[in-house]
Amino acid sequence: MKATALRYGSLLLLFATAFMGVVAYHLRASADDDFPRVQLNADDVSPRPIEDLTAKSVPRDYALAWQTLAQALSSNKTGLLDGYFTGLAKQDFTQRINSQIKSGLQTRYTDRGHKLEAVFYSPAGDVMELRDNAQFDMQVLDGGKLIYEEPVNAQFMVLMTPGADRWLVRQLQATNREKP
Amino acid sequence: MLSVALSASASEIHAPAQITAGNAITIQTSGSGDATFYLIGPAIASKSKVQAGSNIPVDSDQLEHAGRYVAVLCASDGCTATNFSVNPAAANRLSFLVHPSRIPVGSAQGISAVAIVRDSFQNLVPKPEAVTFSVMAKDEKPVSAARTSESAVAWVRLTSAKKEGPTKLGASIGHADEIRVVQQVAADACNLRIKASRDKRGFLIETDPVHDCSGNPVPDGTVVSFTESDDVGKTTVDVPIKRGVAKVEMPIAGRAKITVASGVVTGNELEVAGGQ
Repeated sequence: MKATALRYGSLLLLFATAFMGVVAYHLRASADDDFPRVQLNADDVSPRPIEDLTAKSVPRDYALAWQTLAQALSSNKTGLLDGYFTGLAKQDFTQRINSQIKSGLQTRYTDRGHKLEAVFYSPAGDVMELRDNAQFDMQVLDGGKLIYEEPVNAQFMVLMTPGADRWLVRQLQATNREKP
Repeated sequence: MLSVALSASASEIHAPAQITAGNAITIQTSGSGDATFYLIGPAIASKSKVQAGSNIPVDSDQLEHAGRYVAVLCASDGCTATNFSVNPAAANRLSFLVHPSRIPVGSAQGISAVAIVRDSFQNLVPKPEAVTFSVMAKDEKPVSAARTSESAVAWVRLTSAKKEGPTKLGASIGHADEIRVVQQVAADACNLRIKASRDKRGFLIETDPVHDCSGNPVPDGTVVSFTESDDVGKTTVDVPIKRGVAKVEMPIAGRAKITVASGVVTGNELEVAGGQ
Protein backbone atom coordinates (compact mmCIF):
# COMPACT_ATOMS: atom_id res chain seq x y z
CA MET A 1 0.00 0.00 0.00
CA LYS A 2 2.78 2.39 1.03
CA ALA A 3 4.87 1.38 -2.03
CA THR A 4 1.92 2.06 -4.36
CA ALA A 5 1.38 5.51 -2.83
CA LEU A 6 5.07 6.26 -3.24
CA ARG A 7 4.99 5.14 -6.89
CA TYR A 8 1.90 7.30 -7.68
CA GLY A 9 3.42 10.19 -5.74
CA SER A 10 6.63 9.98 -7.83
CA LEU A 11 4.62 9.83 -11.05
CA LEU A 12 2.57 12.83 -9.97
CA LEU A 13 5.74 14.77 -9.18
CA LEU A 14 7.19 13.82 -12.58
CA PHE A 15 4.05 15.01 -14.39
CA ALA A 16 3.94 18.22 -12.35
CA THR A 17 7.58 18.97 -13.19
CA ALA A 18 6.98 18.30 -16.90
CA PHE A 19 3.82 20.46 -16.83
CA MET A 20 5.67 23.35 -15.15
CA GLY A 21 8.42 23.03 -17.74
CA VAL A 22 5.92 23.28 -20.59
CA VAL A 23 4.21 26.29 -18.96
CA ALA A 24 7.55 28.04 -18.40
CA TYR A 25 8.58 27.38 -22.02
CA HIS A 26 5.34 28.85 -23.35
CA LEU A 27 5.54 31.89 -21.07
CA ARG A 28 9.06 32.59 -22.29
CA ALA A 29 8.06 32.09 -25.90
CA SER A 30 5.17 34.50 -25.41
CA ALA A 31 7.48 37.14 -23.88
CA ASP A 32 9.93 36.66 -26.77
CA ASP A 33 7.08 37.11 -29.27
CA ASP A 34 6.32 40.55 -27.79
CA PHE A 35 9.91 41.71 -27.96
CA PRO A 36 10.80 43.04 -31.43
CA ARG A 37 13.67 41.26 -33.16
CA VAL A 38 16.30 43.80 -34.20
CA GLN A 39 19.40 42.94 -36.20
CA LEU A 40 22.02 45.67 -36.36
CA ASN A 41 24.49 45.93 -39.22
CA ALA A 42 27.21 48.47 -38.46
CA ASP A 43 29.71 47.40 -41.14
CA ASP A 44 29.44 50.60 -43.18
CA VAL A 45 28.99 53.15 -40.45
CA SER A 46 31.22 56.22 -40.53
CA PRO A 47 33.07 58.30 -39.49
CA ARG A 48 33.29 56.74 -36.04
CA PRO A 49 33.23 52.98 -35.56
CA ILE A 50 30.65 51.68 -33.13
CA GLU A 51 32.00 50.54 -29.78
CA ASP A 52 31.20 46.96 -28.71
CA LEU A 53 28.94 48.10 -25.90
CA THR A 54 27.10 50.53 -28.17
CA ALA A 55 26.63 47.78 -30.77
CA LYS A 56 24.75 45.83 -28.10
CA SER A 57 22.81 48.67 -26.53
CA VAL A 58 21.53 50.31 -29.73
CA PRO A 59 19.54 47.30 -31.04
CA ARG A 60 18.33 46.47 -27.52
CA ASP A 61 17.13 50.03 -26.87
CA TYR A 62 15.66 50.35 -30.36
CA ALA A 63 13.68 47.14 -29.79
CA LEU A 64 12.48 48.45 -26.44
CA ALA A 65 11.50 51.71 -28.14
CA TRP A 66 9.29 49.84 -30.63
CA GLN A 67 7.88 47.66 -27.89
CA THR A 68 6.89 50.68 -25.79
CA LEU A 69 5.62 52.52 -28.87
CA ALA A 70 3.31 49.61 -29.69
CA GLN A 71 2.08 49.55 -26.09
CA ALA A 72 1.58 53.32 -26.04
CA LEU A 73 -0.38 53.39 -29.32
CA SER A 74 -2.49 50.41 -28.29
CA SER A 75 -3.32 51.68 -24.80
CA ASN A 76 -3.24 55.41 -25.67
CA LYS A 77 -0.83 56.11 -22.81
CA THR A 78 1.67 58.85 -23.66
CA GLY A 79 3.68 58.18 -20.50
CA LEU A 80 4.98 54.94 -22.02
CA LEU A 81 6.97 57.01 -24.51
CA ASP A 82 9.12 58.51 -21.75
CA GLY A 83 11.48 55.55 -21.52
CA TYR A 84 12.94 55.37 -25.02
CA PHE A 85 11.82 58.46 -26.95
CA THR A 86 12.95 62.06 -26.85
CA GLY A 87 12.80 65.22 -28.95
CA LEU A 88 10.70 65.20 -32.11
CA ALA A 89 9.91 61.49 -31.97
CA LYS A 90 8.38 61.83 -28.52
CA GLN A 91 6.59 65.02 -29.51
CA ASP A 92 5.09 63.47 -32.67
CA PHE A 93 3.96 60.22 -31.06
CA THR A 94 2.49 62.12 -28.10
CA GLN A 95 0.53 64.19 -30.63
CA ARG A 96 -0.58 61.00 -32.38
CA ILE A 97 -1.78 59.41 -29.13
CA ASN A 98 -3.63 62.56 -28.05
CA SER A 99 -5.23 62.60 -31.48
CA GLN A 100 -6.19 58.91 -31.09
CA ILE A 101 -7.76 59.62 -27.68
CA LYS A 102 -9.77 62.49 -29.16
CA SER A 103 -11.01 60.30 -32.03
CA GLY A 104 -11.58 57.15 -29.95
CA LEU A 105 -9.01 55.21 -31.99
CA GLN A 106 -6.31 52.69 -31.13
CA THR A 107 -3.48 51.29 -33.22
CA ARG A 108 -2.10 47.82 -32.71
CA TYR A 109 1.29 46.80 -34.01
CA THR A 110 2.44 43.20 -34.23
CA ASP A 111 6.15 43.41 -34.79
CA ARG A 112 7.75 41.09 -37.35
CA GLY A 113 11.33 42.34 -37.04
CA HIS A 114 13.72 45.13 -37.93
CA LYS A 115 16.87 45.11 -40.04
CA LEU A 116 18.76 48.09 -38.71
CA GLU A 117 21.71 49.55 -40.57
CA ALA A 118 23.91 52.18 -38.93
CA VAL A 119 24.85 54.81 -41.51
CA PHE A 120 26.34 57.66 -39.48
CA TYR A 121 27.91 57.86 -36.04
CA SER A 122 29.17 61.33 -35.22
CA PRO A 123 32.84 61.83 -34.32
CA ALA A 124 31.83 62.96 -30.83
CA GLY A 125 29.50 59.97 -30.36
CA ASP A 126 26.53 62.25 -29.65
CA VAL A 127 24.24 61.18 -32.50
CA MET A 128 23.73 58.09 -34.63
CA GLU A 129 21.70 57.80 -37.80
CA LEU A 130 20.28 54.43 -38.80
CA ARG A 131 18.10 52.99 -41.51
CA ASP A 132 15.46 50.48 -40.47
CA ASN A 133 13.75 47.99 -42.75
CA ALA A 134 10.79 47.18 -40.56
CA GLN A 135 8.04 44.63 -40.92
CA PHE A 136 4.92 44.70 -38.81
CA ASP A 137 1.19 44.18 -38.95
CA MET A 138 -0.88 47.24 -38.27
CA GLN A 139 -4.47 47.33 -37.11
CA VAL A 140 -6.59 50.43 -36.49
CA LEU A 141 -9.59 50.15 -34.19
CA ASP A 142 -12.41 52.60 -33.64
CA GLY A 143 -14.10 52.02 -30.29
CA GLY A 144 -12.67 48.52 -30.26
CA LYS A 145 -13.98 47.72 -33.76
CA LEU A 146 -11.39 46.86 -36.39
CA ILE A 147 -11.57 49.32 -39.30
CA TYR A 148 -8.24 48.66 -41.00
CA GLU A 149 -5.45 46.12 -41.03
CA GLU A 150 -2.41 45.74 -43.17
CA PRO A 151 0.95 43.99 -43.23
CA VAL A 152 3.54 46.77 -43.52
CA ASN A 153 7.02 46.62 -44.94
CA ALA A 154 8.47 50.08 -44.38
CA GLN A 155 11.79 51.86 -44.26
CA PHE A 156 12.55 54.42 -41.57
CA MET A 157 15.29 56.99 -41.07
CA VAL A 158 16.17 56.94 -37.39
CA LEU A 159 18.13 59.39 -35.26
CA MET A 160 19.26 58.10 -31.89
CA THR A 161 21.12 59.97 -29.18
CA PRO A 162 22.68 58.69 -25.98
CA GLY A 163 20.84 59.30 -22.71
CA ALA A 164 22.06 58.68 -19.18
CA ASP A 165 21.98 54.89 -19.40
CA ARG A 166 20.45 54.09 -22.81
CA TRP A 167 20.09 55.20 -26.41
CA LEU A 168 16.95 57.18 -27.14
CA VAL A 169 15.02 57.50 -30.40
CA ARG A 170 15.04 61.20 -31.30
CA GLN A 171 13.46 60.97 -34.75
CA LEU A 172 11.70 58.17 -36.60
CA GLN A 173 10.62 59.03 -40.12
CA ALA A 174 9.20 56.62 -42.66
CA THR A 175 10.76 57.17 -46.06
CA ASN A 176 9.47 56.56 -49.52
CA ARG A 177 11.53 53.64 -50.85
CA GLU A 178 11.14 54.62 -54.46
CA LYS A 179 12.45 58.17 -53.98
CA PRO A 180 14.57 58.38 -50.83
CA MET B 1 -0.73 44.88 -50.11
CA LEU B 2 -3.57 46.37 -48.21
CA SER B 3 -6.63 44.93 -46.61
CA VAL B 4 -9.46 46.37 -44.60
CA ALA B 5 -11.71 44.91 -41.97
CA LEU B 6 -14.67 44.56 -44.26
CA SER B 7 -13.50 43.60 -47.68
CA ALA B 8 -16.79 43.55 -49.60
CA SER B 9 -17.15 47.23 -50.37
CA ALA B 10 -18.71 49.37 -53.03
CA SER B 11 -17.06 52.62 -51.85
CA GLU B 12 -13.60 53.51 -53.04
CA ILE B 13 -10.99 55.97 -51.89
CA HIS B 14 -8.07 57.48 -53.81
CA ALA B 15 -5.23 59.72 -52.62
CA PRO B 16 -2.42 61.28 -54.65
CA ALA B 17 0.55 58.91 -54.76
CA GLN B 18 3.22 61.51 -53.93
CA ILE B 19 2.64 64.41 -51.60
CA THR B 20 5.03 67.06 -50.34
CA ALA B 21 4.86 67.93 -46.66
CA GLY B 22 2.76 70.96 -45.84
CA ASN B 23 0.58 70.80 -48.96
CA ALA B 24 -3.18 70.37 -48.82
CA ILE B 25 -4.68 67.52 -50.84
CA THR B 26 -8.07 66.22 -51.84
CA ILE B 27 -8.96 62.58 -51.35
CA GLN B 28 -11.48 61.28 -53.83
CA THR B 29 -14.14 58.82 -52.74
CA SER B 30 -16.91 56.95 -54.48
CA GLY B 31 -20.15 55.48 -53.20
CA SER B 32 -22.98 57.26 -51.46
CA GLY B 33 -24.49 57.94 -48.08
CA ASP B 34 -23.08 58.85 -44.68
CA ALA B 35 -19.55 57.69 -44.05
CA THR B 36 -16.67 58.14 -41.63
CA PHE B 37 -13.29 59.27 -42.83
CA TYR B 38 -10.14 58.43 -40.90
CA LEU B 39 -6.67 59.84 -41.48
CA ILE B 40 -3.80 58.14 -39.67
CA GLY B 41 -0.28 59.50 -39.94
CA PRO B 42 2.92 59.90 -37.92
CA ALA B 43 1.41 62.54 -35.62
CA ILE B 44 -2.29 62.38 -36.44
CA ALA B 45 -5.26 60.04 -36.05
CA SER B 46 -8.37 62.00 -37.02
CA LYS B 47 -11.96 60.97 -37.60
CA SER B 48 -14.69 62.95 -39.34
CA LYS B 49 -18.18 62.50 -40.77
CA VAL B 50 -18.30 62.79 -44.56
CA GLN B 51 -20.50 61.87 -47.47
CA ALA B 52 -19.24 58.91 -49.50
CA GLY B 53 -18.74 59.96 -53.10
CA SER B 54 -17.53 63.44 -52.19
CA ASN B 55 -14.03 64.82 -52.40
CA ILE B 56 -12.51 65.07 -48.93
CA PRO B 57 -10.15 68.00 -48.38
CA VAL B 58 -7.17 67.38 -46.12
CA ASP B 59 -5.61 70.58 -44.78
CA SER B 60 -1.92 71.33 -45.17
CA ASP B 61 -1.37 71.36 -41.40
CA GLN B 62 -2.51 67.74 -41.23
CA LEU B 63 0.23 66.74 -43.66
CA GLU B 64 3.30 68.45 -42.22
CA HIS B 65 5.00 65.29 -41.00
CA ALA B 66 6.81 63.25 -43.63
CA GLY B 67 6.05 59.55 -43.54
CA ARG B 68 3.37 57.03 -44.15
CA TYR B 69 -0.33 57.89 -43.98
CA VAL B 70 -3.44 55.75 -44.18
CA ALA B 71 -6.83 57.11 -45.26
CA VAL B 72 -9.87 54.94 -44.43
CA LEU B 73 -13.46 55.45 -45.50
CA CYS B 74 -16.13 53.49 -43.66
CA ALA B 75 -19.63 53.59 -45.13
CA SER B 76 -22.68 51.39 -44.70
CA ASP B 77 -21.19 48.92 -47.20
CA GLY B 78 -17.93 48.52 -45.29
CA CYS B 79 -14.51 50.13 -45.03
CA THR B 80 -12.04 50.85 -47.78
CA ALA B 81 -8.56 52.32 -47.45
CA THR B 82 -5.55 53.69 -49.24
CA ASN B 83 -2.11 54.60 -48.06
CA PHE B 84 0.24 57.28 -49.31
CA SER B 85 3.61 58.83 -48.58
CA VAL B 86 4.25 62.41 -47.58
CA ASN B 87 7.75 63.42 -48.65
CA PRO B 88 9.84 66.13 -46.97
CA ALA B 89 9.61 69.63 -48.41
CA ALA B 90 12.66 71.59 -49.62
CA ALA B 91 15.60 71.78 -47.21
CA ASN B 92 15.68 75.08 -45.38
CA ARG B 93 16.57 74.31 -41.78
CA LEU B 94 19.50 72.80 -39.95
CA SER B 95 20.13 71.22 -36.63
CA PHE B 96 23.74 71.97 -35.84
CA LEU B 97 25.66 69.96 -33.28
CA VAL B 98 29.12 71.14 -32.28
CA HIS B 99 31.24 69.29 -29.78
CA PRO B 100 32.95 70.17 -27.49
CA SER B 101 31.95 73.66 -26.38
CA ARG B 102 35.36 74.24 -24.74
CA ILE B 103 38.59 72.98 -26.19
CA PRO B 104 42.29 73.55 -25.65
CA VAL B 105 44.05 75.48 -28.42
CA GLY B 106 45.80 73.49 -31.12
CA SER B 107 43.78 70.29 -30.69
CA ALA B 108 44.11 68.46 -34.02
CA GLN B 109 40.68 67.49 -35.42
CA GLY B 110 39.33 68.14 -31.95
CA ILE B 111 36.08 69.87 -32.95
CA SER B 112 33.25 67.90 -34.49
CA ALA B 113 30.51 69.79 -36.35
CA VAL B 114 27.45 67.87 -37.57
CA ALA B 115 24.60 69.45 -39.54
CA ILE B 116 21.27 67.65 -39.89
CA VAL B 117 19.31 68.87 -42.89
CA ARG B 118 15.59 69.48 -42.40
CA ASP B 119 12.66 71.13 -44.11
CA SER B 120 10.56 73.84 -42.47
CA PHE B 121 8.49 71.18 -40.66
CA GLN B 122 11.55 69.54 -39.07
CA ASN B 123 11.39 66.53 -41.40
CA LEU B 124 14.74 65.00 -42.33
CA VAL B 125 15.64 65.70 -45.96
CA PRO B 126 17.49 62.65 -47.34
CA LYS B 127 18.14 64.20 -50.77
CA PRO B 128 21.81 65.36 -51.07
CA GLU B 129 22.11 69.06 -50.24
CA ALA B 130 25.12 71.42 -50.15
CA VAL B 131 25.90 72.53 -46.62
CA THR B 132 28.50 75.24 -46.00
CA PHE B 133 30.50 75.14 -42.79
CA SER B 134 32.41 78.23 -41.71
CA VAL B 135 34.86 79.10 -38.98
CA MET B 136 35.06 82.68 -37.74
CA ALA B 137 37.93 82.93 -35.29
CA LYS B 138 38.66 86.17 -33.43
CA ASP B 139 40.95 88.50 -35.43
CA GLU B 140 41.24 85.98 -38.25
CA LYS B 141 39.73 85.64 -41.71
CA PRO B 142 36.66 83.43 -41.90
CA VAL B 143 37.28 80.04 -43.48
CA SER B 144 34.54 77.98 -45.09
CA ALA B 145 34.13 74.52 -46.57
CA ALA B 146 31.22 72.94 -48.44
CA ARG B 147 30.01 69.41 -47.79
CA THR B 148 27.19 67.49 -49.44
CA SER B 149 24.76 65.88 -47.06
CA GLU B 150 24.17 62.14 -47.19
CA SER B 151 20.96 60.82 -45.68
CA ALA B 152 20.31 64.29 -44.22
CA VAL B 153 23.71 64.54 -42.50
CA ALA B 154 26.81 66.59 -43.32
CA TRP B 155 29.79 66.89 -41.02
CA VAL B 156 33.35 68.20 -40.65
CA ARG B 157 36.17 67.93 -38.15
CA LEU B 158 38.22 70.98 -37.31
CA THR B 159 41.45 71.76 -35.51
CA SER B 160 41.21 74.46 -32.85
CA ALA B 161 43.16 77.69 -33.38
CA LYS B 162 46.47 78.60 -31.73
CA LYS B 163 44.99 81.57 -29.92
CA GLU B 164 42.57 81.27 -27.06
CA GLY B 165 39.16 82.94 -27.13
CA PRO B 166 35.73 82.33 -28.63
CA THR B 167 35.43 81.02 -32.18
CA LYS B 168 32.17 81.02 -34.08
CA LEU B 169 31.29 77.96 -36.12
CA GLY B 170 28.51 78.22 -38.64
CA ALA B 171 26.58 75.89 -40.89
CA SER B 172 24.27 77.15 -43.61
CA ILE B 173 21.93 75.86 -46.24
CA GLY B 174 20.09 78.26 -48.52
CA HIS B 175 19.00 81.17 -46.36
CA ALA B 176 19.15 79.21 -43.12
CA ASP B 177 22.20 79.32 -40.96
CA GLU B 178 23.09 78.23 -37.47
CA ILE B 179 25.97 79.53 -35.37
CA ARG B 180 27.63 77.94 -32.37
CA VAL B 181 30.47 79.30 -30.27
CA VAL B 182 33.38 77.19 -29.15
CA GLN B 183 35.52 78.59 -26.38
CA GLN B 184 39.15 77.85 -27.05
CA VAL B 185 41.17 77.77 -23.88
CA ALA B 186 44.87 77.48 -23.14
CA ALA B 187 46.26 73.99 -23.46
CA ASP B 188 48.37 72.27 -20.79
CA ALA B 189 51.06 74.27 -19.09
CA CYS B 190 54.41 74.46 -20.84
CA ASN B 191 57.85 75.21 -19.35
CA LEU B 192 56.50 75.17 -15.83
CA ARG B 193 59.06 76.84 -13.56
CA ILE B 194 59.18 77.49 -9.82
CA LYS B 195 61.31 79.66 -7.58
CA ALA B 196 61.69 79.68 -3.80
CA SER B 197 62.18 82.49 -1.33
CA ARG B 198 62.43 82.39 2.44
CA ASP B 199 59.59 83.68 4.57
CA LYS B 200 58.80 83.67 8.28
CA ARG B 201 57.58 80.09 8.47
CA GLY B 202 59.78 78.40 5.86
CA PHE B 203 59.77 78.89 2.15
CA LEU B 204 57.41 80.53 -0.30
CA ILE B 205 57.39 78.48 -3.48
CA GLU B 206 55.94 80.26 -6.49
CA THR B 207 55.59 79.51 -10.19
CA ASP B 208 56.45 81.89 -12.98
CA PRO B 209 53.31 83.01 -14.85
CA VAL B 210 51.91 79.75 -16.23
CA HIS B 211 51.44 79.61 -20.02
CA ASP B 212 50.78 76.92 -22.58
CA CYS B 213 53.21 76.23 -25.41
CA SER B 214 51.49 78.85 -27.62
CA GLY B 215 51.92 81.53 -24.97
CA ASN B 216 48.30 81.60 -23.81
CA PRO B 217 47.92 82.04 -20.05
CA VAL B 218 46.66 78.88 -18.39
CA PRO B 219 43.31 79.79 -16.76
CA ASP B 220 43.00 80.55 -13.07
CA GLY B 221 41.72 77.57 -11.14
CA THR B 222 43.95 75.09 -12.95
CA VAL B 223 45.58 72.98 -10.25
CA VAL B 224 49.35 72.94 -9.78
CA SER B 225 50.86 70.32 -7.47
CA PHE B 226 53.93 71.12 -5.36
CA THR B 227 55.76 68.12 -3.88
CA GLU B 228 58.35 68.36 -1.12
CA SER B 229 60.60 65.31 -0.53
CA ASP B 230 62.95 65.06 2.44
CA ASP B 231 64.36 62.41 4.82
CA VAL B 232 61.01 62.07 6.57
CA GLY B 233 58.98 61.47 3.40
CA LYS B 234 56.92 63.24 0.77
CA THR B 235 54.30 65.97 1.06
CA THR B 236 52.15 67.18 -1.84
CA VAL B 237 50.10 70.36 -1.86
CA ASP B 238 47.59 71.09 -4.67
CA VAL B 239 47.11 74.76 -5.36
CA PRO B 240 44.92 76.47 -7.96
CA ILE B 241 46.43 79.12 -10.17
CA LYS B 242 45.42 82.63 -9.07
CA ARG B 243 46.15 85.65 -11.24
CA GLY B 244 48.35 83.56 -13.48
CA VAL B 245 50.60 82.03 -10.82
CA ALA B 246 50.40 79.32 -8.18
CA LYS B 247 52.14 79.69 -4.84
CA VAL B 248 52.41 77.88 -1.55
CA GLU B 249 54.14 78.30 1.80
CA MET B 250 56.09 75.25 2.93
CA PRO B 251 57.65 74.91 6.38
CA ILE B 252 60.93 73.15 5.65
CA ALA B 253 63.38 72.32 8.49
CA GLY B 254 66.23 70.40 6.81
CA ARG B 255 67.24 69.74 3.23
CA ALA B 256 64.43 69.07 0.78
CA LYS B 257 63.68 68.75 -2.91
CA ILE B 258 60.67 70.54 -4.35
CA THR B 259 59.06 69.58 -7.62
CA VAL B 260 56.10 70.97 -9.48
CA ALA B 261 53.54 69.47 -11.87
CA SER B 262 50.28 70.44 -13.54
CA GLY B 263 48.29 67.70 -15.23
CA VAL B 264 50.78 65.61 -17.18
CA VAL B 265 53.37 68.37 -17.27
CA THR B 266 56.26 68.50 -14.83
CA GLY B 267 58.45 71.52 -14.17
CA ASN B 268 61.85 72.21 -12.70
CA GLU B 269 63.19 70.88 -9.40
CA LEU B 270 64.56 72.98 -6.52
CA GLU B 271 66.80 71.97 -3.64
CA VAL B 272 66.34 74.02 -0.50
CA ALA B 273 67.68 73.83 3.01
CA GLY B 274 65.64 75.12 5.89
CA GLY B 275 67.05 76.70 9.06
CA GLN B 276 70.13 78.08 7.28
